[in-house]
Amino acid sequence: MSDRESTRSSEVLSRISARLQNASVLGRLAIAVASTVSALLIGLMIVAASGYDPVQFLANVFEGSFGDDAAIARTLKFTTIFVLTGVAVAVAFRAGVFNIGVQGQFIVGGFATVISILWLAPMVPEGTIGGIILMLVGFLAAAITGGAYAALPGALKAYTDTNEIITTIMLNFIAIGAVGWLVEGPFRGEDQAAANTERIPEYVAFPRLIYDVPDFSMVGLAIALVVSGVLSVLLVRTGFGYDIVTSGYQQSAAAYSGVDAKRMIVVTMTISGMVAGIAGAIFAIMIQGYYSTPGGIATYGYDAIAVSLLAANNPLGVIPAGLLFGGLDSATSFIGLNSDVPAQLIDGIVGLVVLFVAAPELFRMAARRTGMDGDD
Amino acid sequence: MSMAQYARQNTVQVGGVVALIAIGVLGTLLLDLPVEALLTVGFVERSFQAAAPIALAAVGGLYAEKSGVFNVGLEGFMIFGAVNAAAIMWIVGGSSPGQSDLWIAVFASGLLTLVYVIPFAVLVIRYKANQLVAGLAVWFIGLGFGPFTAVLVWGSRNSPGLTTINDLTIPFLAEIPVLGPVLFDSSPLVLFALLVTVVAWIVLFRTRYGYWLQAAGENPEALDTAGISVTRVRYAATIFSGVMAGLGGAVLLAQAGSFTGTGETMVAGRGWIAIVAYLFGNYNPIGAAAAALLFGGLDMLQIQFQTAGISVPNKLVNLFPYVIVIVVLTIWGSTRVPSAVGESYESEE
Repeated sequence: MSDRESTRSSEVLSRISARLQNASVLGRLAIAVASTVSALLIGLMIVAASGYDPVQFLANVFEGSFGDDAAIARTLKFTTIFVLTGVAVAVAFRAGVFNIGVQGQFIVGGFATVISILWLAPMVPEGTIGGIILMLVGFLAAAITGGAYAALPGALKAYTDTNEIITTIMLNFIAIGAVGWLVEGPFRGEDQAAANTERIPEYVAFPRLIYDVPDFSMVGLAIALVVSGVLSVLLVRTGFGYDIVTSGYQQSAAAYSGVDAKRMIVVTMTISGMVAGIAGAIFAIMIQGYYSTPGGIATYGYDAIAVSLLAANNPLGVIPAGLLFGGLDSATSFIGLNSDVPAQLIDGIVGLVVLFVAAPELFRMAARRTGMDGDD
Repeated sequence: MSMAQYARQNTVQVGGVVALIAIGVLGTLLLDLPVEALLTVGFVERSFQAAAPIALAAVGGLYAEKSGVFNVGLEGFMIFGAVNAAAIMWIVGGSSPGQSDLWIAVFASGLLTLVYVIPFAVLVIRYKANQLVAGLAVWFIGLGFGPFTAVLVWGSRNSPGLTTINDLTIPFLAEIPVLGPVLFDSSPLVLFALLVTVVAWIVLFRTRYGYWLQAAGENPEALDTAGISVTRVRYAATIFSGVMAGLGGAVLLAQAGSFTGTGETMVAGRGWIAIVAYLFGNYNPIGAAAAALLFGGLDMLQIQFQTAGISVPNKLVNLFPYVIVIVVLTIWGSTRVPSAVGESYESEE
């Protein structure tokens, strides 16, 4: 590379980074809050229009998400999953890649966790040590499977210019169908009435801290927070993260600094899928304890898109956004039991949040992604 | 465009289809499948029926994209089309609606999609929302509010059995071998989809309005200079695409006879497949409908496998269309999209 070229490329890079850092944090926060509030307002109008009491509904939402210890534990349980799946989406978005396949990566990851633990359990001593070994194996299996499942659409996008939105969505359907078949047939537990795998051993579980509930542990939440912290550092503070962002936003600039943008797409998608897989592992170990028909598993991977957008694709911003969605999901299960209002309403509200956030914030991203923006 | 000309210009697509057929033939020979039991007239008929909803949504999506708006919300609009058709049928006809109720439901539901697609068009065109994310949002909203509507109306995410469309038998024409039962002794909605496809082709390639549509996507400046409002053309095309997707969902419902709102709903990715169909058809309505037929056929394979006594798990056969979508996109991934797609247009008035 000649001197002139490298000067020019560093100029381009510093301009990009300046623009990224100067992007108003307050502005983004305002968009996020406004989107959420507008979506909730429309939701309340729909509640009223369908003949229910909106005030009562709102009260139920709060009670169901933060009303008592059980509600808070439930909220944190969902938050754990949303933080991880949200980070998975955010990593890809950072590189200008739309990973809509987090749901599928989450499913194959969780399934791989259960299967690998079940396979290995007889060879490992029972008890805490065995539990830890098995969990590590489970996490590894989930990360590898989820990563590989995301690498495929990444490679297709990078090398054959295949639209990753469509391929990742198709892979979601394929994951649901294929894992559904596996759970129903080859991997169905012997004593299971429903189409489920066998349970993983009792000792393969996180210790119960603070909240004594069967399907949530602070350890799970801690893992989620650590992963989001690590990825935040990776993306914002390291050269590697810098390469990811530049290859997504400015392919020519990336090429100047010797970054293979195509390879970066595959790498980013792999990382994204690994995080989604880890989310699946936590879901399998902490919440389910076995694997069920994935058609019935909540759409964590889709809601994660809303989480990430709300957080302006910032791996740390995903934490409060994940808490919000965790609260909403927790309220959903509360409302399902304690109110006449159909709980599906909240899924619709999530969609509305995406719609509102999309309007200003993501326009910039698509412009960069398609390289049509010139500058600002 | 003559057949030969089309083949020359779309070598990859034609090659892809030939390759698919070759793989199919090879597979049948190697696995010793009972070809006669698989390729029945009933199979062709069912494939046409399965293709109709996809073709309708694809024609709509194609128009929107030709005009410069990539509508990835087709799936969501189809969900609304399906659930609204079921609800209207229930309201008009009660628990045992008749054929006229069904027709009212299909077309009223298509029209009702206006309520959803107009705000979408405004957000995307007027407020320059990101087309991809706004389209995704439409899908999520459909996934939430579709089943919500069902719960409001029936107290469950799934509707009870309503009614399915009766076959329309046209005397004499129905006697023609193969073609007769497929076209003239089948769901009239198949004929409707065919009609829409042909009309869409004529309008797009043979009328002045079609020319405007293409210009809005390829060269908005030129269209603007010619005194035609780019924005207006795009509004029309986007709204049309939503209504067609809504109709597609309603047609899907009319064939299934009840709404399923569990999982990813009964639409199950057909809106996304519609996008691939028109990409595969190279933005030609007839090509898009042909691609929809390909996916419809894949969708119906499971019934064929069952009747032919081939034991392949249902769940796996059901995955064929999704796998083929990925293969098709990969072989021929780099579409020549209209150059101004995704770009909002600022008139210099």
